[in-house]
Amino acid sequence: MHRREFLKAGVALTFAAELPTLARADVNFDPTPGTWRNFQIVTRLEIAKPAGVSQAWIPLPSVNQKDWIKSSGSQWMTNGKATPARDPHYGAEMLHVAWAASEEALVVEVTSRIATQDRAVDLTMPGKPAIDLAAADRKFNTAGTELIPVDGIVKQTSDKITAGKKIEIEKVHAIYEWIVDNTFRDAKVRGCGIGDIASMLKTGNLGGKCADLNALFVGLVRAAGIPARDVYGIRVAPSKFGFKALGTGSEVITKAQHCRAEVFLTGYGWVATDPADVRKVVLEEPPTNLAIDDPKVAAARKTLFGAWEGNWLAYNFAHDLVLPGSNGPKLAFLMYPQGETGNMRLDCLDADNFKYTIKSKELTTA
Amino acid sequence: MTFRFAPEVRGTFGLKIRRLKAVAALCRVGVVFYLAMLPLRADAAELQRWTAGAQPILSLPNTAGADVALEAARGHVVLVHFFATWCEPCREELPALNRLAARAGGSVNVLAIAVADADQRVQRFFATTPVDFPVLLDRDRAVAKAWQVATLPTTFVLDAGLRPRFVVETDYAWDSLDPKELTGTSAINAGASTSIKDASNR
Repeated sequence: MHRREFLKAGVALTFAAELPTLARADVNFDPTPGTWRNFQIVTRLEIAKPAGVSQAWIPLPSVNQKDWIKSSGSQWMTNGKATPARDPHYGAEMLHVAWAASEEALVVEVTSRIATQDRAVDLTMPGKPAIDLAAADRKFNTAGTELIPVDGIVKQTSDKITAGKKIEIEKVHAIYEWIVDNTFRDAKVRGCGIGDIASMLKTGNLGGKCADLNALFVGLVRAAGIPARDVYGIRVAPSKFGFKALGTGSEVITKAQHCRAEVFLTGYGWVATDPADVRKVVLEEPPTNLAIDDPKVAAARKTLFGAWEGNWLAYNFAHDLVLPGSNGPKLAFLMYPQGETGNMRLDCLDADNFKYTIKSKELTTA
Repeated sequence: MTFRFAPEVRGTFGLKIRRLKAVAALCRVGVVFYLAMLPLRADAAELQRWTAGAQPILSLPNTAGADVALEAARGHVVLVHFFATWCEPCREELPALNRLAARAGGSVNVLAIAVADADQRVQRFFATTPVDFPVLLDRDRAVAKAWQVATLPTTFVLDAGLRPRFVVETDYAWDSLDPKELTGTSAINAGASTSIKDASNR
């Protein structure tokens, strides 16, 4: 840096320090489609303490949407028996690996490649009525799941939030705003949360993480009769818009799982949303514990209704998955590698002891 | 209570010291009042009378893999406690339940049910927080759903005939409860010949 540039930077820093609100009012958070980015994700899993027959299930990128994500497939190396599997209801793909009890060093390494880009839709422009969802898909994406019921307290809450709203987008936006205003990110919640939305509403404890807050958003939207779905995935790169809370800190993304949400608005199609990340900005964006009217929060709140940044990989949309070959319970969602040894389900949130690592690298070529 | 003052204060401002002692006395009264109020605060959650009738039969594997049936506790007052290791209030409530069961001296049994928790996570938790009652695994929430458990923690108080009498759908200050309040109001603690005590979770 030249001395003159350094001095200019020094002046800018001083100015920003004196007038932080003014300086940060120009927050640029403007995801714009057009530049595809390619990533390679390597998941390495070992069963640290095998106790008999062991199995593992590694989520594979299985969302292919021509306007924002393409999976280029996965390859793997293992000393177990590996079988690709696909959930029959949601199309969620996973690699199922089984090891005999006699095996001692149980390992599998999966390399996946994807391309993704920013998403954004201009919701101020009139939609095209021809963009609609088939009746079966509408029914599927407005139905309840085990942890996302769309009746009872969820329906009552949704009705209250959307009272007086006449059109889809008004209703969805009212729910989005309600989530941002009434929930909070709870740092003490393990992993991404559970997503038991009826319990959240019944207890009035609206704290959680993405699998709680965005599931609540999806449930309330579905209860309003509007299609919505959670998208389970993992952050793969830092935010190019400078949001520390909305990107990775290094190539190791073992604990960077994040789920987002989509709503289907007639005329616009599937629209990107992420109210949980607004609350993440509130809690975690430096200097942390930002006010709800902080410019960074305001920018995230405005942008994440209709757009998101392409620094994230979508694994699947699935709920209530049965893991092939397992006698264990269904999974509420498949976002973390899963494992069992001696019929005991391993703690997927304890990556260090399970154990597994996930690394991401941006590729310069597809 | 003895106050220590810095040298520049000690012995020079007798009036101020008397005032400070008066303030300290008021503080002592305040502390006593606060402590007296604590049980009331802790008792904010209440055991609500259960009026919805019998609950389904319950049998689940414990953390060692052996099936444990609620039926084995017939003849005792039983607390059927639904929890999860990820639930913060639950983690604090489990030791209190253990102390309650110890105080009850066998007249109150506890059956803890981990809801939709990973087996390994439950084992790890109880390795560091051991309890003397059975911990069962409701891996797919089937029992929690059948018992209409909407939130964690939830505890049902069953009488000696295994009929639900009370429910509390939040954490409860079990340390403030005299076990006789349970055995006296909701159970006929007689004729018990079996026990559901299980050493596997110690």
